[in-house]
Amino acid sequence: MKRIFVDYKKCLACKACETACALEHHPGGNLFGALGDLKTQINVRVLGIEQEAFPLSCRHCEPADCLNACPSGAISRDPESGAVLLDPALCKACAMCAMVCPFDAISFKVTHRSCYNRDVAYKCDLCNDRVKEGGVPACVGACHSGALVFAEYDAARGTRAAKSLRTYLLGAEGVPPHVELFRELRKKEFARRRGGE
Amino acid sequence: MKVVTAGTGMAAAEFVQRLRLEGFDGEIVMCSDEEFAPYSPCVIPFYLAGEPMDTVYWKGKDFYGRYGVSARLADPIIEVDAERRLVRTAAGRSETYDRLFYATGARSWYPRPEWLKTRGVFGFKTLTDMVAIDRYIREHGVRKAVVFGGGFIGVDAALALRHRGLEITLVHRNTRVLSQMTDGEGGEFATRKLAEKTGIDIRLRTTVDGIVENGGELSAVRFSNGDVMETPLLIVSIGVSPNSEPLRGDDKGVHGNEQMLADPCIYTAGDVAVTRHAVTRAKGVYATYPNAMMQARTAARHLFRGDGAYAGSINTNVLKKHIDFPIVSAGSFTGETVTWHRGDIWRRVYLLDGMINGYLIIGDTRISGYIYHLYLSRKRVDKTIRAILAEPRHDSYYRSMLGMVPV
Repeated sequence: MKRIFVDYKKCLACKACETACALEHHPGGNLFGALGDLKTQINVRVLGIEQEAFPLSCRHCEPADCLNACPSGAISRDPESGAVLLDPALCKACAMCAMVCPFDAISFKVTHRSCYNRDVAYKCDLCNDRVKEGGVPACVGACHSGALVFAEYDAARGTRAAKSLRTYLLGAEGVPPHVELFRELRKKEFARRRGGE
Repeated sequence: MKVVTAGTGMAAAEFVQRLRLEGFDGEIVMCSDEEFAPYSPCVIPFYLAGEPMDTVYWKGKDFYGRYGVSARLADPIIEVDAERRLVRTAAGRSETYDRLFYATGARSWYPRPEWLKTRGVFGFKTLTDMVAIDRYIREHGVRKAVVFGGGFIGVDAALALRHRGLEITLVHRNTRVLSQMTDGEGGEFATRKLAEKTGIDIRLRTTVDGIVENGGELSAVRFSNGDVMETPLLIVSIGVSPNSEPLRGDDKGVHGNEQMLADPCIYTAGDVAVTRHAVTRAKGVYATYPNAMMQARTAARHLFRGDGAYAGSINTNVLKKHIDFPIVSAGSFTGETVTWHRGDIWRRVYLLDGMINGYLIIGDTRISGYIYHLYLSRKRVDKTIRAILAEPRHDSYYRSMLGMVPV
């Protein structure tokens, strides 16, 4: 079973992942439809933390606290792909899932998948249908810098993840020289801005 | 082996599903005083708010058939004979068992049970209650309601009925609603914001002392300050008590050990079970779904495999249904406080020995999962918690993970 891992040191904060995710989950499937649409659902969010950037999304944990906390039967795991999926038709937006998710990966609003004209929980679905057809998640496909990697989630990692949540997030490290240079420049720029404030 | 469940609630359904998934092929009988497939009490207020009934059956409406269960419904268990290993029901039936799963839940507690004889007065606990309230609202064209009791269930009721379009008055004896899951200051903030955001008329330090009926139907309620308010609908939601009488003879709950055994052949779980808190080890009824589910899984595993132990309950809860204004809390509200407040967001952590002893997060859920894990993992946070709560972009977890010092 594969998961999306984050090699955050390679993230350039271009937000191509956010755009690709929005299009993938928008009924129109095009940028003009998704832009300015309040119901547009974006399941990945690039956090800016000082000079670093981190694309945040659901880790599809095993075991998943959100799945165990959901009292409406809305969250389940696809036995084939291992993806933790959320059914908006059953979701009551009670926030039991968000209350226990350490990654802040579950949000609430009226989306195009809302069934009763009220907010529902939404989160990354690992682009389950795309992946089953042999593709990669939209965000991974859109990432040009190698910060998002769709890779096999091995059993050893599961044991480590139980000890440290960090293991759910990070992929292999090792930064190419041009990205290292970009990081240095970004760090200097942030230091300059801080100094100027 | 024949397994009988007393109750068809969330704990019992989880227990039966787990047993079948493990491969248990013995006879299973589920008994309930209600007539439904297992349903989610968390979801049922949405039926009242106008959403489809089918979504309340959170493990499917065909549960009994799918898991090969004989259901004995609409007939409450009134006695458990542990020596002869049988249960007796109100209709005079009896059912023998090899193992009993006792998960009868809790019921509404009424200060004046005779009020319920008046049409228009209801409890707010079961799907039976919801169906009756729904029918009453439709048949009488009800436009307003009084909810007596501002605990979790009372606020849930008020918000669900408001969601349906009714004008709501919420009456609560305390100085704030949700008094069990909030402290004084946080609770008062939450109460004020709830009133602002919903327009619900919240009357604090007030109780309903009497009802006025007309031809067997409710016409008005009388408050403790002497005011009389006309209303065709009164919801009484001032408390619940565990349904432990058939097994224990009182309503103090049923103690379960680490294997959730109350007796060598009787497991217990859910809102009737008394368990230890995972952090404080204090005994109590910790009536939330995640606790019930883990208790039921512990029991099922022990029955089928003979091993496993329950790690303890957590008194964490969140109220967010029908309104985008979450109120999250856990632990106990004692110790040194660290508070952060800006606009609609109010956060407070109680520290004891440098670790989180309890917390209350109002207005958003963005750091609640991180705080929850800091609470459970018993990490020392006295040096960082101020920055974690005050981080304007709510990214404290990612800061800590990237090794960024909180600023």
